[in-house]
This record gives sequence, structure tokens and C-alpha cells, in this order.
Amino acid sequence: MRREPPRQPKRLPPLLRKEGSLWIAVALTTLMLLSACGGAKNAGNSATPVPMRVVTDDLGRAVTIPVKVTRVVSLAPNLTENIFAVGAGDRLVGVTTFCNYPEQAKAIAKIGDTMTPNMESIIALKPDVVFVSTASQIEAFMKTLEANGIAVYVTNPTGTVDVMRNLKALGEIFDTQKVSDDLIANLTQRINAVANLTGPLASHRERPTKVFIQISKEPLFTIGNKSHLNEWLFNAGGQSVTENVDTAYPKLSKETASALNPEVIILSESDDNKEPNDAFKNSPAVKNGRVYKVNADLLSRPGPRLVDALEQIAKDLHPEKFK
Amino acid sequence: MLLIGGLLFLLLAIVLAAAVMLGAERLPLFDLSEQQRSILYDIRLPRILLGACVGASLAVAGAGLQSLLRNPLAEPYLLGVSNGAALGTMLAFVFFQSLEITRPLLAFAGAGLATVAVYRMAKSRAGMNVERLVLSGVIVTTFLSSVIVMLTTLLDAAKLRSFTFWLLGDLSQATVNGVYLSFGAVIIGTIILMSQARALNLMMVGERDAFDFGVEVGRVRMLVFGASSLVVGAAVAASGSVGYVGLIVPHLVRLIVGSDNRLVVPFSAVAGAIFVVFADTIARTAIAPRELPVGAVTALIGAPLFIYLLRRN
Amino acid sequence: MLEVKDISVGYGERAVLGGVSFELRDGKTIVLLGANGAGKTTLIKALNATLPLTSGDIALDGERLSKISRREIARNIAVVAQENETRFPVTVLEFVLSGRFVHGNAFGWESEADVAFAERALADCDLSGYETRLMNHLSGGERQRVVLARALATGARILLLDEPTANLDLAHQAMMFRLVRERCRSCQASAVVITHDLNLAAEFADEIIMLTDGRIAAKGTPTEVLTAENIKGVFGVNVLLDENPASGNVRVTSVF
Repeated sequence: MRREPPRQPKRLPPLLRKEGSLWIAVALTTLMLLSACGGAKNAGNSATPVPMRVVTDDLGRAVTIPVKVTRVVSLAPNLTENIFAVGAGDRLVGVTTFCNYPEQAKAIAKIGDTMTPNMESIIALKPDVVFVSTASQIEAFMKTLEANGIAVYVTNPTGTVDVMRNLKALGEIFDTQKVSDDLIANLTQRINAVANLTGPLASHRERPTKVFIQISKEPLFTIGNKSHLNEWLFNAGGQSVTENVDTAYPKLSKETASALNPEVIILSESDDNKEPNDAFKNSPAVKNGRVYKVNADLLSRPGPRLVDALEQIAKDLHPEKFK
Repeated sequence: MLLIGGLLFLLLAIVLAAAVMLGAERLPLFDLSEQQRSILYDIRLPRILLGACVGASLAVAGAGLQSLLRNPLAEPYLLGVSNGAALGTMLAFVFFQSLEITRPLLAFAGAGLATVAVYRMAKSRAGMNVERLVLSGVIVTTFLSSVIVMLTTLLDAAKLRSFTFWLLGDLSQATVNGVYLSFGAVIIGTIILMSQARALNLMMVGERDAFDFGVEVGRVRMLVFGASSLVVGAAVAASGSVGYVGLIVPHLVRLIVGSDNRLVVPFSAVAGAIFVVFADTIARTAIAPRELPVGAVTALIGAPLFIYLLRRN
Repeated sequence: MLEVKDISVGYGERAVLGGVSFELRDGKTIVLLGANGAGKTTLIKALNATLPLTSGDIALDGERLSKISRREIARNIAVVAQENETRFPVTVLEFVLSGRFVHGNAFGWESEADVAFAERALADCDLSGYETRLMNHLSGGERQRVVLARALATGARILLLDEPTANLDLAHQAMMFRLVRERCRSCQASAVVITHDLNLAAEFADEIIMLTDGRIAAKGTPTEVLTAENIKGVFGVNVLLDENPASGNVRVTSVF
């Protein structure tokens, strides 16, 4: 598979950018109030000092965490999935209302959603570490949480490569390297298998399928070349027809869409996105019935399930190679 | 007057023609392929026509409300009418997803309720003064905004994105049926407002005066509120909140033709159509193949223009 | 003819007018006199059916005012109220033409006749050439004359004028009253005028009604009403009365 250098600073995953700046404003106000009146005196109040170590998060910050991490909070659904995937799901004491996978995540205490987590609930859970995916909130988070002796670890994996790095880091934090290494090996092997059949390794021999990924039907949103799905699609043996659009998730002109003539349309399946936009009614994809659905959660939450989606789409695009 | 009217229609024709020629996709003048015809007739034309209807709607509603409330600052957006319609549309969006017709209906109801609420709040026994009116409008607008924000928490992420985009003013969801509906609403609304134009000329000077000179003030008020709610409801349901049209267009029209509402209302309709079609052409082409929300473009043009007009007087 | 029979008007608990009766015959000018707050403006509003009566009755040509439609009332009664300002750029001609509202259908434009009415009213008020001026660029006195012109343009048979001379210079005060009286004489119209100028009242009124605390204190011809006791009683001012050497009417001079 193709490698690309990790981008800094991190982009928000698509789920997070939907919320709009209003939520940020609300969250910031709340946090400012809290940080003004909160946390003056209770930094590390236990009698016996807990042995600590230092790890580096995705922003390059040195984060001091206990040697044995036992209680954590995740503020993003994909981080929740990744923590479960490295075998540390039982140490999650708080997650967001968006966290609905795996099934056990639903039973964990909710601390609000990603953009407006409830600081009081988080502090009350007494976690060792809070996993944050939104760099924009880091300043406000750090002050309040670290004043309360809670470490903040920022990580925001996007593409499949990022996911691997994230799983490895999580394995180290939770001391479950065995599970994470096995998982990474397994995922790498599966990605390579797909890439060998349909992806870049195969594509010099044949033309990749022209694919349109529809993120939402009305208004019409798709992916641009800044989305991790652009590369993901390439691995599945497809080529995004909007790969020349220089952004992550553009709202696309229907006129342009109508002229794109995709051979396949992939729907990021959600309530509002169950069929192709009318602009595609004359496209080869619709005429030939080549419209496939992928659960939107799989595409919008970079985690191990991105590989599930990769396998599914590779089969949809090139059924003949998976006999 | 005929000359000005003629020029205005000519300008509308030019803007419409330019809008038809320009777009994210280049279309030849003749010999369109099947696909190009589809782009033109299914996507571009409905959107342009919807833009024209929305512009005309917001402008006539602005002209009517300004005269009725004796305040050149009255505007559907400032008076909470747009937000009432937005809340109505949102309720339809949340609770009656599959029934598209509920959107304009609830938008109309929301616009009407917001108008009446603002009017009731602004009116005291001593009559209605401008400051009270603007204040009531701001209060109702912000109240409705916060209800909308609260309701967004009920939306899942995908719906929320389409909704926030729509809320900014977006014509990309134009459909042929939507055009028919908006066109019908704007024709009916404009006719009602025109029929009350002469009464509005009196109301504009003073409500008591108008009553003294034989205007059935209550009936005129009801008709103008009703017509404004109708057109704003249809416009908001189709395109979200496109700001500044109702404020800026009647202002400009008055500068050219004076204050007689029998001229201001129809001229505003045409000028509003020109303004929104022009703004939407920019929205469609400026960063093609991506798109801007048309509401952002109208505000970008409208706000500085309005400041200029304010300082000029 | 306007017949006022024992009317009372109140805002909530507070009675503003009580037991007022008089008749306004065609061709006559009645002047209302009274101290501030005596109920003069309230009486004008009641005559125009703008305020509901708490008791009593007003009849226009024998028909109860409360039974007549707004348009019909406006066709017969025109009001010059204390002035109004507008924020819109309305021209003088547009303003005066709006007085013809009840004569057109709602859709229509003014007829030639409407414009002729307006032009004549403007000429009568010494405003020829003002047609295209903007209302909010006029002086207070000019605006007041335009407001009168609008009332005249209606062609109504009854004019109700609330302090029409407040902002006018000497010449235009006399013009205003002469105009109103001429209208009354020539077209069999009639007028009720509020003023604070006792001498103008003496010159032009056919009948004077003096109001105190919402009741009629005195009623009759200028000579009957403008007596030293009446004026002392209503305004609390001592006056000297003599004869105007020019017209032979009563002349009132305050004694300070």
C-alpha cells in the first residue's frame, strides 16, 4: 500500500466537522467558566505517589500518565472503538453519546457528545487519561483537566496508516501490546491482500473503477483529495471522480456531479443518504445498478472497521477477483 | 416609470441569461448532448427560477412589512419572520421527514406566528414605536434561534449537516415542484400586497391617519402579515434563510421610484429576483465545482451596501 | 348634518367627556375652545368614530355613526390631526392624493378627477409648485398646510380640524380659517375646529363651544360665548372685551 507522511496538525474526522462553530463557542464558554472557578487545590491528593511515565501524543506533547492506566475517558467514537480493539474496553469509564460500537460501549457512562463534553461528569469519573480527538479544544481541556490531575492525550487518526499507529500507541498506553500487535499484523495482512488483488499493485495492469462517494444526498456532499477515503478507495481498486477537488468534504455542484459519469456510486449510508442524488440519474452507475452502501460509521470513524469497509468495497468494485 | 420598469425587466433578462450560461459545467449554446440537456433543465434552470422566486418573495415581503410597520428597517429576517419559518421547516424536517409538503406548510405557520408575536410585543396602548418593534424583532429572532439550536441536538449528525447548510441559505436543493410552489406563493403574495398598496401608502404615514382616511387598518394588517408569511414561508422552506434581500432591495427601489407602494412592490419583486439570481450565480461559480451558500453571498453584498445607504441618508 | 346627543367617552375608568350635545349644521363652522386636557381632541376623535362612546349617540344625516362603514365615514368626514412624521420619502402630491383613497378601488390608480381635486386643494392652501417636494423636507408650517390640503382633497362634507393653525404664521392662520369658512359657505360643508386663538374664533366661528373637564361650559354665537365670566371660568384669565374695528366682531385682550 501507498504510504504518505502523517499530516500535522490533524484534520477533524468528518463526523466532527459537521457540528459547526456554534457548538465550539458554547463549549468554549462553558470551559472558560469552569476553568476560571475550578481546580485550584486537588492536584494529586492520594497519599502514596503513583508511579508515572511519559508518553508523546499526536501533537508531540509530552503527556505524563500512570504506569498502570486503569480508568480512561474517550471523547470520540473512533477512539472508543480503537480502545476496545486493543483489548482495553473494560478500562473505559466514560464515552460520548456518539459511541455506539461495540455493543458494550453503549453501557458505559456518557459524558456528553464530542463537541460539548460535560467537564463535571468527566472529573467526577476520576479518569487517569482523557483521549481527545479535537485539537481545537486542547487549550481549554488541558487547563481544567490537568488542574484536576487528569492527563489529556490528543490523537486523531485519519487514514489506515494513522489507524495502525494509533493502535500501536494505545497498546503501549494500556500495556496490551500483544493484542495491538496481533491486530495490526492482521489488519496489515488484510489490507495487503485487498491491495494485491484490486489496489495500486494491481492497477498498473488495469484502469481503476471510477467511483463517486456520496456523503450526503441533499445538499450533495462528497469527498475531495484531502479525505482519507480518497486513498482508501484507491486501495480498493477505485478512483474517486472528485479527486481533483482540493479539500476534504466539499459540497459539490450538482451540475458537476451530473457530468462526472461515475461507474459506481458508494453511499455513506445514513437516514438521509440511502439513494444517489437525482443528478446521477443518467450516470452509468445508476443505469447499471452499481450503487453500493457502506455504513456511514465505518467510513467516518477511522478505526479497524475501515478495513472491513475496504474489503466490502473491493468486493463490490471487483467481484470477479474474489471468487 | 415605464422606462425604469422596462430597464429593470431588461436587467432581469440579462441576469437570467447570464445565469443560464454560467455554471460549474460549461454548456455550449447549441446542440446539447442528452447529459448537457439534463444539466440545464433538471439542475440549472430550476435553481435559477427558484432563486428568482425566492428573491421576489423576500423583497416584496420586506417592502410590505416596511410600509405596514412604518419602519424602513423592517425586514423578514430582522423581524423574526424568517426564523419562524425556519423553525417550522425544521419541525417538519425532524418529525415529518417523508412528507415534503409539510415543510412549506409549517414554514408558513411559523412565519405567521412569529410575525404576530413580534407585532403584539411591539404594540402598546400608546401605539407602536420603532425602537420597540426592532427590539421585539430581535428578541423573537434570538428566542427562535435558540429553539432551533436546541432542536438540532435531536438531529443525528448527517441530518444536522444538511440542516445547517440549509439554514445558511442554500438553493442547491431546488426541484421543479419547489419552483411551482414558490412561484405560486410569490404570485399570490404579490397580488395581495399590490391590492393593498394604496392602503399601505397611507399606513406608511401613520396608522391613525390611515384609519381617518378610510383604510380598514385591521384588515390591511392581516392581509399584509398573511401575504408576507406566505411568501417568506415558501422562500425559507425552499432555500433557508437568505438575508438582506428584504432590507436592501426595497431601499434601492425607493431611491429610484419613490415611496408609492404601487410601484415599490412590483419593482421590488423584479429587483429582488435580479439580486438573488445574481448572488446565486456567484455562489454556483466562484469556487466551482464546490459551492457557496447563497445566503453568505447576499449578506456579503448586502451588508456593506446597506451601511453605505444608511450613511448616505 | 352631524347630531351629537348626550355623549360620554372614557379611557378605562376615567371619563373624559360627559353629557356633550350639539348639532353641526351644513355650512356652519363650530370652534371648540377649552384649556389643555378639557377633552377637545377626544371630542374630535369621537366625532370621527375613532373612539367608542360609553353612552349617547352621534348621527350623520340621521344615521348612527357606529352603524356606518369606515369607508363611508371617510367619504363624509375628513380629519386634520396634529401632525405626523414619516421616515419614507413621500412627495407632497402623493400625500395629498392619499386623501382620495376612499374614492378609488383598491387596485386602481388615481383618476384625472382625483388629481384635479388634489391640485385645487394645493392651490387653495397656497402650495402650488410644491407637488414634487418631499414631505420630510418641508417646514412645520408647510407640512401643516399640506395636511389641510389632503383633508380638503377628500371632498368630505365635514371637516374636523385639530389645531390646524398651531405652526402657521399670521397670514396663513387667516388663510386657513378663511378657506375653511369659504368651503363651508360654498359647498354646504361644515367644520369643527379646535384652536386656542380666541380672536380667530371670534372672527370665523358661527358657533363656539367651550369645554371644561369634558363638559360643555358655554355654547352659542361668539358674542354670546366670549364673555369675561366664561373666559375667566374656563381659562382662569382676566380679559378685556371690545369690538374689532375692522370686522365689528368681539375682540379679546388678556390682562396680565
